[in-house]
Amino acid sequence: MKVFSNWQWFHRLGSPRWFYQTTGRWLPWLSVATLLVLIIGLVWGLAYAPADAKQGNSFRIIYIHVPASFLALAGYYIMAIAGAVGLIWRMKLSFMVMKAAAPIGAVLTFIALFTGAVWGKPTWGTYWVWDARITSMLILLFLYAGVMSLQYAYHSVDAASKAGAILALVGTVNIPIIYKSVDWWYTLHQPATIKLTSAPSMHPDMFQPLLVMILGFYLFYALVLILNTRSEILRRERKTGWVRELAQSKSGFDARAGD
Amino acid sequence: MYFNNLEQLMLMGGHGPYVWSAFAVTIAALVWLVLAPIINHRALLKDVARDLQREQARQASTRSQPDISEESI
Repeated sequence: MKVFSNWQWFHRLGSPRWFYQTTGRWLPWLSVATLLVLIIGLVWGLAYAPADAKQGNSFRIIYIHVPASFLALAGYYIMAIAGAVGLIWRMKLSFMVMKAAAPIGAVLTFIALFTGAVWGKPTWGTYWVWDARITSMLILLFLYAGVMSLQYAYHSVDAASKAGAILALVGTVNIPIIYKSVDWWYTLHQPATIKLTSAPSMHPDMFQPLLVMILGFYLFYALVLILNTRSEILRRERKTGWVRELAQSKSGFDARAGD
Repeated sequence: MYFNNLEQLMLMGGHGPYVWSAFAVTIAALVWLVLAPIINHRALLKDVARDLQREQARQASTRSQPDISEESI
């Protein structure tokens, strides 16, 4: 009996319905917080931070480039861990989170690559080079795309989830390569500006808005991951009683009136 | 503000096109990321409600079918 009650939280955590209802209460607060932090960070970074002595104003692109890259990598961990939890404990909700994380990671990786290319033109004189960091980020984009396409490659949802999780786990090999690429192959991309082990090599006036943008992107990631997961829950549980009740209460008016 | 006026903010010392295009594409991508699941969520709920309505209509019609056939005879 005791063992059962100890594991109850775990079962509840794995319940899509519980996740849907709990996150529904967080969404208003999370949306407002995300919007506020991102707007503050954008205005601060674009209009108030001083220009870089060497790069001029093009450096402002880091206010989206760095946070997007951070989340593209962190999001990969989230996707791979969700896939592993799904494989090990056969938790369906975990697979839904994995599926929800893939397109967000892909878009963030695209943003990192695109903003990097646009920044590279005035700074390096070229949009693209086959530098180690850039190439490994492109591989990350393909990994995300691979997990996404596997979700639609199978008739069985279960088989699709398992295949996606295995690809996500195998792909984690790429993550340390991305982190270390700037140190192992010192080509064109500069080494990390922000390190946990030392002070940032950046003036506080430039660094503070970057921190705000990173926080904003984390909030944004959480918001979109929740939104995507909720959609996925509805899609997979559409035949269940609680989703039917929800649909009727939300659009009861429309249903009665007819189309 | 770091810039003297709005025009300088737009020009960004010649880097304006790079900076603004990078930010515009990013914001468009982020907006799409938020809107896609919201639109999807709404469509799914509507879809489930329509299915329910159709089911109810079918049940109602099967219940009233004997009456219709009797009348037609």
